[in-house]
Amino acid sequence: MLIDVIIFLPLAAALLMLLIPRTSSGVLKAAALAGSLATFILSALVVPLAPNGVTQQVVPWITSGVVASYHVSLGGINVFFVLLTTFVAVPAVWAAWTYANATRLRGYLMLLLAFEWTLLGLFTAGNLLLFYIYWDLMLIPVFLLLVGYAVSPQARRAAWGYLIYNGAGGLILLAGVIGLVVQTHTFEVVGATSGLPAGLEWWLFAAFALAFLIKTPVFPFHAWMPDTYTQSPPPLVAMVSGVQSKAGLYGLIVFALPLFPNAAHAWAPLLLVLAVCSVVYGAFAALAQNNAKTLVAFSSLSHLGLVILALFAFSFSVVQISVLMIVSHGLISAALFLLLGFIEERVGTCELGSFGGLSVRAPRFGVFMLIASMAALGLPGLSGFAGEFLIFLSAWQTQPVFVAISLVSVVIACVYVLKLFQSSMHGPEKLPAGAVRDGLELRPREFALVAPLLAAIIFLGLWPAWLNDRVPASNAVTQASAASMESK
Amino acid sequence: MMTSVGVDYSILAPELALAAAGLLVLLLDLILRNASRWLLYTTGIIGCIAAFAFMLPLYGKTQSTLNGAFANDKFSWGFDTLLVLTLAVVFLLSSLKRAEDGGNPASYASLLILCTIGGTVMAGATNLIGIFLGIELLSLSLYVLAGTGFPRESSQEAALKYVMLGSLASGFLIYGSALLYGAGGSIALSALTKAAAVSSPLFIAGFALFVVGLAFKLALAPFHLWTPDVYEGSPLAVTAFMAVAVKAASFAVLARVAYTVFGHASDALIPLWALAILSMLVGNLGAIRQRNLKRLLAFSSIAQAGYVVVALAGVGASGLSSLLFYLFAYAFMNLGAFAVIGLVGDGSEAYADIDAYRGLFFRRPWVAAAMALFLMSLAGIPGTAGFYGKVLLLVQGFTAGPWGVALGISLIAGTLVSFYVYFKVIWQMFVPVEGEAPQIADGTAASWLAVGLGAAGVIVLGVLPQMFFTYVVAAPP
Repeated sequence: MLIDVIIFLPLAAALLMLLIPRTSSGVLKAAALAGSLATFILSALVVPLAPNGVTQQVVPWITSGVVASYHVSLGGINVFFVLLTTFVAVPAVWAAWTYANATRLRGYLMLLLAFEWTLLGLFTAGNLLLFYIYWDLMLIPVFLLLVGYAVSPQARRAAWGYLIYNGAGGLILLAGVIGLVVQTHTFEVVGATSGLPAGLEWWLFAAFALAFLIKTPVFPFHAWMPDTYTQSPPPLVAMVSGVQSKAGLYGLIVFALPLFPNAAHAWAPLLLVLAVCSVVYGAFAALAQNNAKTLVAFSSLSHLGLVILALFAFSFSVVQISVLMIVSHGLISAALFLLLGFIEERVGTCELGSFGGLSVRAPRFGVFMLIASMAALGLPGLSGFAGEFLIFLSAWQTQPVFVAISLVSVVIACVYVLKLFQSSMHGPEKLPAGAVRDGLELRPREFALVAPLLAAIIFLGLWPAWLNDRVPASNAVTQASAASMESK
Repeated sequence: MMTSVGVDYSILAPELALAAAGLLVLLLDLILRNASRWLLYTTGIIGCIAAFAFMLPLYGKTQSTLNGAFANDKFSWGFDTLLVLTLAVVFLLSSLKRAEDGGNPASYASLLILCTIGGTVMAGATNLIGIFLGIELLSLSLYVLAGTGFPRESSQEAALKYVMLGSLASGFLIYGSALLYGAGGSIALSALTKAAAVSSPLFIAGFALFVVGLAFKLALAPFHLWTPDVYEGSPLAVTAFMAVAVKAASFAVLARVAYTVFGHASDALIPLWALAILSMLVGNLGAIRQRNLKRLLAFSSIAQAGYVVVALAGVGASGLSSLLFYLFAYAFMNLGAFAVIGLVGDGSEAYADIDAYRGLFFRRPWVAAAMALFLMSLAGIPGTAGFYGKVLLLVQGFTAGPWGVALGISLIAGTLVSFYVYFKVIWQMFVPVEGEAPQIADGTAASWLAVGLGAAGVIVLGVLPQMFFTYVVAAPP
């Protein structure tokens, strides 16, 4: 019951906002923030359940033909995905307050909350039908926000790129899901030891993995990403990059790897190559960008490639380490994109070189930007370091060559992150015409909404074991890894 | 063996109730002299309710009358319900202020009812003659209805095209039936089983012609060429009826033939699978360039007909309920979409253009939200009827061997293309507009009721599909 409340609270808040007149924007803002905040507080209460306490709820839903129940569960790994979602959603909704066109604010906030609902539903789904339903539903709020609420014509192109790429991924996943359930006759496949024919398993894993790689994204399926990340309104991209990009990784950990262990091993070499390509290509591509948002987008590609590397190296503690990296990346990219959004609001652009030296008049902004960028760079003491270091350590045991190549990205990351930070914050003050000179500093609301993200980044950097100890060790992926370690 | 022809009127009661309503409409007009549309259409809707009331006792039963020529069974009951429901909604759509009725609402209403009777005869007929009678009753009435946009020229064109190509299709169908009779030695479908098992050349030729005739009615590619023009030219409510009722009735015939004559996946059905795959391609690709929403939905209906065929792939045990589910889903989302088109343009033809939908969300949020729901259902977005329908179709396809898998994969490919088609309209509705946008008229309560019914159906079937299996499918798998 508590799970349902958490999942549907954002949706309920969004629907309740229909009752509030469009013009009373103050009430709308408060309602949206209250909705996301209440969801976060509720979900935070669930943390003590980890690592082994799992709350399940199963209600019969479809009993004719292929059986499915309304099955949600919370506990173990997905607690952290749920927490990440609700935690990032609060600053995202809060940041959306400043949307300029007051008459259309309601739709904007409603769509953001609806997006949070689909993400929560995805991470708590206990069977493949619910997982797929939310997987596809996610497309709608993002598409509508890009079409209706982003300003530039490029944003509309980005909307199409997003829809067609992710729609294709979703349909490939649907093919995989149906291909599996015609064998099992039920959507309740979690924990089912499958006696699938090897050839079929190979194909099904391919379908699942392809869908998940598109969503993450991983090279070469990232074509939709730079446009979407650059053109989205900042609150949206904080959610897309901070949370939605983790949906594919979650799917791999919870569905694809445990369901098709043999095929996963068969496909691992190719996936490792793709992962390393993402890591290295993402780093170099980030280096070449002049737009700060696109730069962060490519660094995202690079960092999430590392998670794929960790997963398919089948080494020790894969799941704990991946979850740490995933949560850490979610916090960092959400913070960075929100801060870049504030810059764009002030100077009207995110093109590096057309502005600079912001920290002269905005020292606090400078400090916040510094923490977020250093975390992205992987500075020890911040969460980014903990995640990356453990991934390299773990994957080295089985795949030293791939890890060695990936290490290049660590060096490149220093270069592009410093480029981002220096050209925006350091040096003589440089502002494009029309930018507001006073009021460059973070306002109290902006300060308050980014601060928790940064605090969490520091917390996880100092005490990564807090998270690692709470991720269950007995996961099918871990078992598969252990088996492959022993066989070596 | 001669037996006296016993007539079980309880089985024929729904058709008789409809016929009575059709005659009553004509009588009312005769007596009252220019009876109001409101009165006539209400009579029609009461006829629908009466027919449904007579159908209730037949639920879940298998029985036949007229010496076995006409049956009530799992092939007819669900389809009949769908037909009657469609007729009622089409009456609601016809009540828009500027809805076209050829200047004579009484004959318009009675023709619509006759069409529906034709459809129910198709669904219940168990022999070749009965099927042909049903199809002709449906088609002949519909030829006239297509032209009720008089004196609009495109409506005349639609009627003419429909008559020419429709008659050709009837020719194929009756010639095929004749050959099938030759092969099986009887007009009863059940007698064809033996001929089908042997696959004599006579049977193959007859069956091929029969399928071609049905494919015309279903608008399966490459027999779809009439569809866009006829859909665009016909009055809106008639188009909605064509899109839903004709397909439902024709699929009833196809399902009965597939299950009675073959009963399992047969090589003789391969051409049908090929037609379905082609339809999915042609329909979705053709829809990309359309800017008139009626034409867009015409191409969409070609593709959707291709999807529905997937339910029959493998002629599996649960194929029939999947087929019915998708047809119900299709009916709700299409009738809803046509109702929105009617609301936006108040029944006038000019407003089927996609430009009228630009920024609709910011002028009429509820109309736009309803349209978005119907389009998302057509695209198969989860939470809507169209999604679960596609899940059922894919399950049928993927369990039915190589051809089934091919059908399933083309369904998925077609769906991806259709994302662009349907989201293009949603895109138009949500794009903020600069400057003055065309204002839209307020609809009647009846057309709002139609939109609401469509939306309720799409959501209920999408969120609680089990209700359909529990209450509608008379013979669960």
